[in-house]
Amino acid sequence: MISRSSLGRNARFALRRQSAALPASRRGLAAAASTPFHYETGSAAGVKTAGRDLSGPTTSLAIVSKAGSRYQLLPGLAEGLEKFAFKNTEKRSSLRITREVELLGGELFAYHSRENLIIGAKFLRDDLPYFVELLGEVAGKTKFTTHEFNEEVAQSIRFAQKHTLGSASELAVNSAHGLAFHRGLGDPISPTSSTPLAKYLSEKTIAAYGQAAYAKPNIAVVANNASQADLSKWVGEFFTELPTAAPAKLPKLESAPTKYFGGEERISHPSGNAMVIAFPGSSSFGAKGSWQPEIAVLSALLGGQSGIKWSPGFSLVSKAVADIAGASAVTTNAQYSDAGLFYTTITGTAKGVRKAGEALSKTLKSVAAGEFSKEDVSKAVASAKFKALESGMGIQNGLEATGMALISGGKAVELSEVAQSIGNVTEEQLKKAAKTLIEGKASVASVGDLYVLPWAEEIGLNV
Amino acid sequence: MASPSVNFIVRRPWLRRWMTPLANWYTDAAGYRKLGLRADDLIPEESEAVQLALKRLPPKEAYDRVFRLRRAVQASLAHQLLPKDQQTKASEDTLYLTPIIREIEAQSKERNDLDSMVVRRKN
Repeated sequence: MISRSSLGRNARFALRRQSAALPASRRGLAAAASTPFHYETGSAAGVKTAGRDLSGPTTSLAIVSKAGSRYQLLPGLAEGLEKFAFKNTEKRSSLRITREVELLGGELFAYHSRENLIIGAKFLRDDLPYFVELLGEVAGKTKFTTHEFNEEVAQSIRFAQKHTLGSASELAVNSAHGLAFHRGLGDPISPTSSTPLAKYLSEKTIAAYGQAAYAKPNIAVVANNASQADLSKWVGEFFTELPTAAPAKLPKLESAPTKYFGGEERISHPSGNAMVIAFPGSSSFGAKGSWQPEIAVLSALLGGQSGIKWSPGFSLVSKAVADIAGASAVTTNAQYSDAGLFYTTITGTAKGVRKAGEALSKTLKSVAAGEFSKEDVSKAVASAKFKALESGMGIQNGLEATGMALISGGKAVELSEVAQSIGNVTEEQLKKAAKTLIEGKASVASVGDLYVLPWAEEIGLNV
Repeated sequence: MASPSVNFIVRRPWLRRWMTPLANWYTDAAGYRKLGLRADDLIPEESEAVQLALKRLPPKEAYDRVFRLRRAVQASLAHQLLPKDQQTKASEDTLYLTPIIREIEAQSKERNDLDSMVVRRKN
């Protein structure tokens, strides 16, 4: 028996439910799920919800809030709000939250991307009500105490700053985003240690940002492996107390439509070398920006990392870089709601990075000239299609993408349409896309040994 | 911090009405207000909870506390009471540290409770 004083009503309730017989409605893993890719959407208590029932035994649940580093009102607020997740609330202490979650065998997570702040939990399917209540409490009733800010949150922000500063490739990616988009999307995802945080961050500013970030129109609750009906029911019960609009005295959490700028930045760094060569990319599917399936295919064609072991794979960059000792390159297409950044990150020794940079620029030019085989294209299309579908299947990406789509448009992403439009990409489109990229302005960030690392102009890129 | 007898009195309004002037007289007679101190300045510092609570004081409060203590020590060494206008008034004698100490004690009690909890399934 658990004593009343040592455990809250909810955990006892959930524990009892867990040990009780399994509900009859639970389907076996082998049974066919109704609509595998589609989230069913709805809304409860003014909060948008989406659930996808794959009948698995564990559930992931998350609040997606449109409050990532892009929308923050002051530098570091998104990071601060993320670190304040699961701290003391008006109903229970953070220690109690931890112990109760341990008791139910769950796992909590909180992170932010450039556009979204995600707090969520993974747990056994039957504990859904407990965790919906917990998330509702974290969003609406966190106390934001001074001592927690000073003793825990500020400390972990400082560690995050040091972490960013220590990693050359992270610095380079942040710098490339800054060059490409200046403000908004260009803001660093987590502040570097030279940002004067003390001026902007306090428990009060974070609390105010939290009120705006967790206002009902600004969030969506997404669950994987939970039925939409259950989710709506519990959200309707536990999310009633969230503010229906952001406080009027705060500026709105918006950022101006993203514009591409381009340029070059060089940062010397004592450990590690990284070079990020970026071009304007494709926005995410169905958003108000420009979705270009050929960019996704181009990113697979250039690639860099092989899907198979012990082989450089088919992708052009990995073939070009294979002979260069001490360098590796990965091409990514980072998709955001109204813009995208198509970039290749090269890491390794300074000399290796220099050579790989030259090889990359040469490869891009050859693609623009149409020097690739038909087979490569079909492989790239297949790989791009696989990646798009797999990221939708993957739980965490799926949660964030679905939540984001819900907040902006009120509709969940249709992955089958994404795959179809990728499948229709032709060689001609690829050639044209590569040509536009190489003729336009690049954003080049070099971090590391600047004596050796090349300028963009030296490897033949316009900035 | 409230002892049982205090609760006994507080719960009975008529008794409370009788006792309040007596309590006020007693507190005044204790003399610390004449040295410019507050009741919370007298809490012994030699415990972890109080040390942590002192760390959590807002900077202004912490500064004022040190000032009051130093002024009181000085007055005590000089065998003098402070002039009337510098003495603590009853309205200024607020609990600025006790709530923080209570919070810390509640927290550590909760930690103890949770750490020594025994979970048994009811089957």
